[in-house]
Amino acid sequence: MTVAAGLGYALIALGPAFSLFAGVVARKPFLVLTLLSSTLFWLMSLIVLSGIWRGFLPIKSGTWWAYAILIITSVALQEGTRLVFWRLYKKMEEMLDAFADRISKPRLSLTDKMLISFAGGLGHGVAHAVFFCLSLLTPAFGRATFYVERCSKMPFFLASALIALGFLVIHTFSMIIAFNAYDEKKKCDQIVVPVVHLAAAVMMLVNLAPGGCLIGTPLLLVMAVLTLQYCWRVACRRLTEHQHRQLNN
Amino acid sequence: MDPAAASPAPAPAAEEPRSDASLLDALGGEVLAVMSPVSICMALVVLLISLLSPPSSGSVAAGSPPPVTAATLVYLESPTDTPAQKFVGALLDAAVFVALVAVVTFVLVALYYYRCTGFLKNYMRFSAFFVIFSMGGAIAAAVLRRLAAPLDAPTAFLLLFNGAAVGVLSVFASAVPILVRQGYMVALAVIVAAWLSRLPEWTTWIMLVALALYDLVAVLAPRGPLRMLVELASSRDDELPALVYESRPTVGPATSSSSYASAMGSVEMQTMADSGRVGGSRYDRVEQDEDASRAVVEMRDLGRGRSNIGEMNRSSGSVLQMDNLEREVPVTPIELPSNQIGSQHAVIQIEQSEEAETAPLVSAASSNNAASDEEQRQSSSSEPLDFEMFESTRGIKLGLGDFVFYSVLVGRAAMYDLMTVYACYLAIIAGLGCTLILLSICRHALPALPISIMLGVTFYFLTRLLMEPFVVGASTNLVMF
Repeated sequence: MTVAAGLGYALIALGPAFSLFAGVVARKPFLVLTLLSSTLFWLMSLIVLSGIWRGFLPIKSGTWWAYAILIITSVALQEGTRLVFWRLYKKMEEMLDAFADRISKPRLSLTDKMLISFAGGLGHGVAHAVFFCLSLLTPAFGRATFYVERCSKMPFFLASALIALGFLVIHTFSMIIAFNAYDEKKKCDQIVVPVVHLAAAVMMLVNLAPGGCLIGTPLLLVMAVLTLQYCWRVACRRLTEHQHRQLNN
Repeated sequence: MDPAAASPAPAPAAEEPRSDASLLDALGGEVLAVMSPVSICMALVVLLISLLSPPSSGSVAAGSPPPVTAATLVYLESPTDTPAQKFVGALLDAAVFVALVAVVTFVLVALYYYRCTGFLKNYMRFSAFFVIFSMGGAIAAAVLRRLAAPLDAPTAFLLLFNGAAVGVLSVFASAVPILVRQGYMVALAVIVAAWLSRLPEWTTWIMLVALALYDLVAVLAPRGPLRMLVELASSRDDELPALVYESRPTVGPATSSSSYASAMGSVEMQTMADSGRVGGSRYDRVEQDEDASRAVVEMRDLGRGRSNIGEMNRSSGSVLQMDNLEREVPVTPIELPSNQIGSQHAVIQIEQSEEAETAPLVSAASSNNAASDEEQRQSSSSEPLDFEMFESTRGIKLGLGDFVFYSVLVGRAAMYDLMTVYACYLAIIAGLGCTLILLSICRHALPALPISIMLGVTFYFLTRLLMEPFVVGASTNLVMF
């Protein structure tokens, strides 16, 4: 429905990401590069996943269990990608620290590390939103709109934009939680991240039921808010601990 | 403990750390300075293509027949041919095209060798004008027609003429603001890429791959034309005759060591030396000879009001080391020990003037910046030099041909679907990043096309064949993960 609607949908999905980008990431070129590389990682994991599943497509819409397996495999792969990303980040952190020592500048601070994990998460989220929502939005710039049969109350574009928004928030902030957890070696946080991701993805199965998108989409946004709140707690705790440690020294 | 984290600690993650303490602030600036114009160029080309020829699957360009160019001399693809025919025809086309490019590059090298610089320069000026005026004009006309925007012919002619004239001036003259110059470089690349995207599909893909391979050979092989060109240019201490995009400000004609006061907004790194001994050094890393004399290195970035001044003691063959670098030092002119005639000093002029001559655009046939394809030199300093140097003196030059072919790839991906566009964009940026990393390791001219084009082509086909059915199938059922 015209350019305005198309832009509106795009902004619903990517607006917060854009402001996060402009406000935080764009200020430091290194974070922009981190974002681009994490986007690339996510894309590669998606390609591997689709390579695995290509032989089984198209999936008949009635078989929800096939979708369940799909979701489980994809979440597993993405969490694996997150671990790989973490390993690479550790290597890079060593190199950066060595570099900083060589030129006698301070090493990466805690805030820096959290910023890097934030940029990485944002990269994942942006990649998700772009590939799942934005690339299908082109018809929305035209003169009509599109409804999926099973979701007759919400235009398809709106539903996918809201879902993309939810997942963007989840990806971004769970990356911060995950990196903190790997750093501090906290098992419970390390488990929380894949569980949240899996729960959010499984919630999407609700969308397969007729009229399910009216339940699934708000639930997903609730999950996103929960992730955000949990990340806030983790970050606050970590930073105040760090500050206390510094004051005590 | 981290002195940097002390003050911003109480606030949650999004607060910026102090400016003088963070490594993140300074790293990566020059890489981004190259990636941004590449991204802008690609975005503009995608926009133009989706405006002018709505994305359609297959090789049929909506409405307009493909242009008769050097790339379609042997075989012109038509939708009714079998895939085998198309493939063979495209291979022949690509071979002819690459041969043509190679011949033209050799001609350019010969002309440069015999010092026909006047001819080269004027030919470059003519081709820049031609591209902006006629090809840019055709694109502008098509856009106006598509948007149904009224503009009368005399006004259009006047605007176009002025635009082209400013473009010619900005590409070659020295006193033009860097933004204008960079803008016109990007505009040239956009115009040529948009024009080249009208080639038939198979021809485009195979031509891209062929050009990437040619690029690899031409820059790295010992008798490759571009390598000869670079060596000729550096042995003469002269600017490369090609259209290159420079990602940092420059000043007028190559200043000598004494004219610091007049340098405005210049970023220069000079060490005094006997230039004969460092033959080929301009574009190479600063590798000094066995002489253990001192070189004074002065870097000044007037545009940012900071300067880093230091001295270096060279030992044989070692990399330049900087000490005593301070970030916030007021700009002070430095006196080079130009009167130390006895000692050997190397003049390594990193800054280049814009007496840049450009590679010929093969005129009536397909336009292509032959020699400008791959030149990517790093006006570099040594590796241990810290990030202050990176941000104030490092500028990476990327040939305009690279812009063009990246954008052609993305434009061709745009003709299929937006998903392929994003995938190819990410692949090209990744390839560019890899090339830049290699550049910082190898420190000599590297071809910028091969890695990016190969990655881009791979990702295009992977996305088109594997990813798209998967993602579209999942998301139209509102199952996302």
